[in-house]
Amino acid sequence: MEKPLATTAPAPPALYRKSLKTMLFRVTGSELIPPFYLWLGLILLALFTLSPFLYFLGSSVSSATDLMSGRLLPHSPTIDNYVRLFQGTTGADFTAAIRNSVYVALWTTAFTIFIGVFAAYALAKINFPFRSTSLLVILAMQLLPSISIIVPMYMNMRDGISIGIPFTSIVFYRTPPLLDTIAGLVVAYTTFSLPFAIWLMAGYFQTISKELEEAAYVDGNGRLGTMFRIVLPLSMPGIAATAIFTMLNAWDEFIFASAFTQTAAAKTLPVAIREFIGRHSIDWGLMTAGGFIASLPPVVISLFLYRYIVGGLSAGGVKE
Amino acid sequence: MEKPIRSGLAHRLTPRGRKDFIFAIVLLLPTLYILMKTFVLPILQSLLWSFYKYNLMDNSAVEFVGLRNYTQIFQLGDFWTSMGNTAYFTVFTVAAELIFGFFSALLLNQTFRGQLFFRGMIIIPWAMLTLVNGLMWNWIYQPGYGAFTVMLHDLHLLGANDNPVWMSSSFKIMTFASIADIWKMTPYMTLLLLAGLQAVPNSLYEAAVIDGAGFWKKIRYITIPQLMPAIVVAVVLRIIGAFRVYDILTVFSTDPKTSVSYLTFNYAFRYFYLGRASAMAWISTLFILAMIIVYIRMLKKNAENA
Repeated sequence: MEKPLATTAPAPPALYRKSLKTMLFRVTGSELIPPFYLWLGLILLALFTLSPFLYFLGSSVSSATDLMSGRLLPHSPTIDNYVRLFQGTTGADFTAAIRNSVYVALWTTAFTIFIGVFAAYALAKINFPFRSTSLLVILAMQLLPSISIIVPMYMNMRDGISIGIPFTSIVFYRTPPLLDTIAGLVVAYTTFSLPFAIWLMAGYFQTISKELEEAAYVDGNGRLGTMFRIVLPLSMPGIAATAIFTMLNAWDEFIFASAFTQTAAAKTLPVAIREFIGRHSIDWGLMTAGGFIASLPPVVISLFLYRYIVGGLSAGGVKE
Repeated sequence: MEKPIRSGLAHRLTPRGRKDFIFAIVLLLPTLYILMKTFVLPILQSLLWSFYKYNLMDNSAVEFVGLRNYTQIFQLGDFWTSMGNTAYFTVFTVAAELIFGFFSALLLNQTFRGQLFFRGMIIIPWAMLTLVNGLMWNWIYQPGYGAFTVMLHDLHLLGANDNPVWMSSSFKIMTFASIADIWKMTPYMTLLLLAGLQAVPNSLYEAAVIDGAGFWKKIRYITIPQLMPAIVVAVVLRIIGAFRVYDILTVFSTDPKTSVSYLTFNYAFRYFYLGRASAMAWISTLFILAMIIVYIRMLKKNAENA
């Protein structure tokens, strides 16, 4: 039943109160949540998301006394922890860890993209038997946990990896033992990021229209020409997103790094930071400062490249 | 009636198809080689070792034991404790992440001023290093001076002289670790569901308004049914992720029984029982494979319905 129209105008204050109430509690169009609850929810969400992070950031600029006195905010902010982080043996190890992490992330990304882009093209654009089965097998590989492969991978690293013809005794080259080397980590990470990168890039390649490719054919380009002149340039955003994800994954990885590295020669940031936990006590100042520095690159990258990250997130099991 | 020929095979029989097939194989060759060498063969190797008694410290004593590793694992109290802990962690985190993620996705799907800020903000926890996230929460839970204890004191939920040690049992460790994981991975769930929400047609809600449906009715009869495919896919993905939890727990506890991955890691790299560790890894692998099959089926079903 429809409400009867008001015949007499209500008093101004009542009208004001009523309209404020409508403003706050009524939804318009296809919206679901009235403004009041929307903002209440958003404030709660912001508190939930930001407060641990800000507390962590605050702790990293707190003096040792502030940290131990149970103050939620630093009383006398100091960059002392950051200074200590780069001094002495701790400093040498931490700097080495940053360097190792950067190298591992960049090399892994370079290898993964360089090798994966061809496979992704084949799987996305060429019709051949078992194509979709291959894609699903690759998806499964990407989702399998590191633990299912870590033991044989360790043995491989210890003995060095041979490059030759599989199932024969023909070996062209055998690497030196790869334990505690950056190369070893790059091999391990490439193994896990390759399936994921292929799956992601194949998805992007499939969105490039067939007409453009046909046109390139007609213009006399072969398969390879079409790939390099048409498909790859148009998929640059997708390839970039894949590269970012590969990099973030390599930066974040901990289980392989802790199994395969022992010294500053190859320890990555997560492993180095894990070692701030001593046997009996933790230097919270160092830990929070180090943790903040290590988290800064992925956080900044994700914020700046938000659009690509979100596109990639919905494409599959990424960065757990 | 003639059987339909699979298009892929039919295509291969034509000259152009054959050329394409060879070209595809050439492009795939480096990937096939690497994955064969560093993934497929090792994982089969691991399956083989799981039937052997194999201690890294004692290479001479490699001995075929059949299924004994598996039967021993199943009789091992530690294994069942770690399984229970992992299951608790998985159920708790995935349920909480789904609920929080669903509601924050609803919030962020609405149009409002400052949307970009809020959407960007929620990505911060997800982008933080997993290990640092564990350490951060460990710092928050410190007895005495950690933020959690301090806040409970300030709110008078805890007596002035009470100073509990939060990580005093494996149940508590798993609960507090779950909270850390929920904080980090809820944004991931939110973004997955947000993508799903954007595909729900607005006209459905507009029609519901005309029918006089309120908030809960719209959620119950429109949002949830429409979002179901995305929810199932996201939940399966999170179960796969939560089951292999490792980083957070190494920070919270030195007790390897906290998760299956942690126990497996310890069997391999602390006790050097490679055979038994491989068997444990294979039990995890089989479980994850089962989940992956569910996941792939869901993806296929969603693709067919779309």
